[in-house]
Amino acid sequence: MTKKRQLRFTIIRSLVAILIALLVATILIFISSAGATFAEKLDATREALKQMLAGPVFRFSKKNGTAFEAKRLADILAAMIPTTFTGLSVCIMFSANQFNLGAEGGIMLGAFVSAMAAIYLPLPAWLHPVAAVLLGGIAVAVTMLLPALLKTKLNVSEMVCSLMLNYIIMYVIKFLMNTYLADKTRGQIMSYPFKETSAIAPIVDNAVFSGAKLSWGFVIAIVAVILCGLFMYRSRWGYAIRMIGINQDFAKYSGMKVGMIIVLSQVLGGFLAGAGGGIEMLGRYTSFSWSALPGYGWTGITIAILAGNNPYMVPFAAFFMAYLSKGCDLMATYAKVPAQLIDIVQGVIFLFFAAEQFLSGYRQKLVVKSAEEEIKLAKARKEGVTNA
Amino acid sequence: MPDGNAVANETFVVQMKSITKVYPNGVAANQGVDFNLRKGEIHALMGENGAGKSTLMKMLFGLEQPTSGEIIVNGEKLELTSPSVAIAHGIGMVHQHFMLVPSLSVAENMVLGMVPKKSGLFIDRAKAIEITRQYSEKFNLHVEPEAKVMDIPVGMKQKVEILKALVRGAKILIMDEPTAVLTSQETAELFVELKHLKDEGYTIVFISHKLNEIMEITDRLTIMRNGRSMGVYNTREVTKEQISRLMVGRDVVLSVQKDRAVPGDTVLRVRDLEYVNEWGKKMLDKVSFDVRKGEILGIAGVEGNGQKELVDMLFNFNVPNSGAATVNGTSILGLPQQKIRELGVSLVPEDRMLYGIAAGASIEENVISDRASDKRLNNGPLFNMKAIHEESDRLIREFTVLCKSRSQHVGMLSGGNIQKVVVAREFSNNPALILADQPTRGIDVGATEFIRKKLVELSRSGIAVLLVSADLNEVMELSDSLIVMHNGRIAAYFDDTSGLTDEIMGEYMLGLKQQSDAEVRRVCHD
Repeated sequence: MTKKRQLRFTIIRSLVAILIALLVATILIFISSAGATFAEKLDATREALKQMLAGPVFRFSKKNGTAFEAKRLADILAAMIPTTFTGLSVCIMFSANQFNLGAEGGIMLGAFVSAMAAIYLPLPAWLHPVAAVLLGGIAVAVTMLLPALLKTKLNVSEMVCSLMLNYIIMYVIKFLMNTYLADKTRGQIMSYPFKETSAIAPIVDNAVFSGAKLSWGFVIAIVAVILCGLFMYRSRWGYAIRMIGINQDFAKYSGMKVGMIIVLSQVLGGFLAGAGGGIEMLGRYTSFSWSALPGYGWTGITIAILAGNNPYMVPFAAFFMAYLSKGCDLMATYAKVPAQLIDIVQGVIFLFFAAEQFLSGYRQKLVVKSAEEEIKLAKARKEGVTNA
Repeated sequence: MPDGNAVANETFVVQMKSITKVYPNGVAANQGVDFNLRKGEIHALMGENGAGKSTLMKMLFGLEQPTSGEIIVNGEKLELTSPSVAIAHGIGMVHQHFMLVPSLSVAENMVLGMVPKKSGLFIDRAKAIEITRQYSEKFNLHVEPEAKVMDIPVGMKQKVEILKALVRGAKILIMDEPTAVLTSQETAELFVELKHLKDEGYTIVFISHKLNEIMEITDRLTIMRNGRSMGVYNTREVTKEQISRLMVGRDVVLSVQKDRAVPGDTVLRVRDLEYVNEWGKKMLDKVSFDVRKGEILGIAGVEGNGQKELVDMLFNFNVPNSGAATVNGTSILGLPQQKIRELGVSLVPEDRMLYGIAAGASIEENVISDRASDKRLNNGPLFNMKAIHEESDRLIREFTVLCKSRSQHVGMLSGGNIQKVVVAREFSNNPALILADQPTRGIDVGATEFIRKKLVELSRSGIAVLLVSADLNEVMELSDSLIVMHNGRIAAYFDDTSGLTDEIMGEYMLGLKQQSDAEVRRVCHD
């Protein structure tokens, strides 16, 4: 199949998966909606769906009717920042066929290290956030050497290793916070406030967005997407990562340094997750108070799968996930539907994407079509040769 | 002499009549093959790799369906749509690569798919063990029912496979190269057991190309070549030489024009390579040879006689126990593939789908895999896409790869075009030495001719070529000089291929003859 046809298949498959997921969600909403009669339930379901699908960017009120809501959109864009980074991180690691699940712990560690740099490093305003975010990224990159080297040197499963690493990271951070770093004057476990020089500024004045915290981190995330895309599709290292992911024996036979590239993919993935944690922390918070894994890493896996490991698709997938999450929150608030429903919707989408055979009949048709065209082409060329 | 249906009304347990099988990719693996089995005989099915033996037996076991022809078992015409249908009619198969679950015990493997139950729900392990014991004793095939399959030796695994077939009621056993993985003691043991089964009235098909074993154990034999049956014979009435002539022969001769070679300095020097595989079998036994600039040295031999191991050593997919191999004076054993390639070594690998290509990547991504770090194709940290497009378009044109564009996935091409992508890369990176391992196996005539011509052309331009091929036609046509491998040793060296006949080759390939050490040593041009 040509790339164009491949792309068409991917898009159609994504849309069908989302559609089925929404259908399943609708049925579940209907079942769990309030109302005594069928008509009432139907009404409640319609209301809930409206909130979920349109709510994230529109406000519905009886007084003013339906109005576009900039703040909600800004909230969604802000929510995309950490998941775009984890999505990119997972993309690069999965592209090399390395099922490293460390983005979850990675983003927490990156956030923690950046937070410490924000509190304790005396630096000028422009340099402070840059240094803090880089430190966060580097810390996680170094940490990811652990599963990567264990994989290449001793053939330890990077999946198990990185999964367990997440919890080690979480508990070490909790221990450090509880024992040494907490601000004892506060009512809960949280760090001292960050120095003001360390903040990543909001893109537009807060007043316009009435409190939305969309920082310049969003722009950095989009730049990161472009850099990752260039790296994966336009550089020899990204090329090597993708070839190893497709066929490791082929890569080895071709003379690529397979072990080194496998390590590189995980170190780079770690850096992205860590930097994402730092940007999230400095753009949204004024002190470190995370006491559990934030979940952005898991969402990053979903996003990478939705994006088909293509960095350029990551922001779209991240937007979709953030939109859906916001919609479900609103639905829970205004339409009395449990917010847990988003997990089910996510699960269904995940299921259809992970199932390689989903819509394989359609794919087969495309393949056959390609093959037929190829044969026709061959015939035409042969005839051309004999005629000449 | 040809025995065929000597007695017209003789009863056969199996009759396969004018079987033809054409695979979806257009390969005609069987063409009008007749195959009959008498009750209680051991019947050899012989032929080189790719002769169509396995295909024929897969159809008898229901793994493949014939395109035309009929199969009659015990007088009943059958549609063998799956192995379970074949098993139900008493046909069992012992595969060359065992179909066992390593983490389960022998007894559990025995009853897979027909598990005895306790109160209709739980697996009755004791019963499974009892069944295993019972069959093991009845057929005199010793196994340990409670041992895990991964812990038992190869010989015992094979017995488990045989018992598995017998438990399922097989009266006809198809054994696919059963001795390929066995030591000589295990082979001797297997033969005793097979004779015992034969005495009990079981019918056995024995697929092999080892002449001595065939002569020792079989009653009749069917020889196949290029998808056709070359006749049925009583084993007692034919000689090894006759069999060898029937098995190894040439049908179509594609001739390639070539000038006389003018060999230059030695490029590849291999000395005393020895390799013992993981089962303790000696796969390479003091192999020494030289390949010089401007010549094609061919390695002929029936597959499995050490050729694969030899190539693996030369590209560091494996490391020999002892010996040396140098390219222009630099040792290549144990060197990373990148360094081997830097020395100017190219490899057209035997398994093109595993090593030769990344099926899920584009043609372009496949042709640049060995040169992605070249300065020519890079602009600082990024690829120079223009240069890469030009390079891949040039190679597609030069090697006449039939495709829609450079961005087409390689996996979507035909076998011949896939191989053209591989050789486009391997022939175009300025090589000093080309290792061509089965370069034209299973591909169409056009691509075959193209690749052969290219090989000759390159060798005449001063490149050293080592050609490994199980295709006699190819190796005799293309090589300037050639060696024959048998049982991990060089059985013969011919410095001139012009006077060679199929008969002479066959005798060395099947181990009937062996040149003296001095004669073989001539391939080292010290």
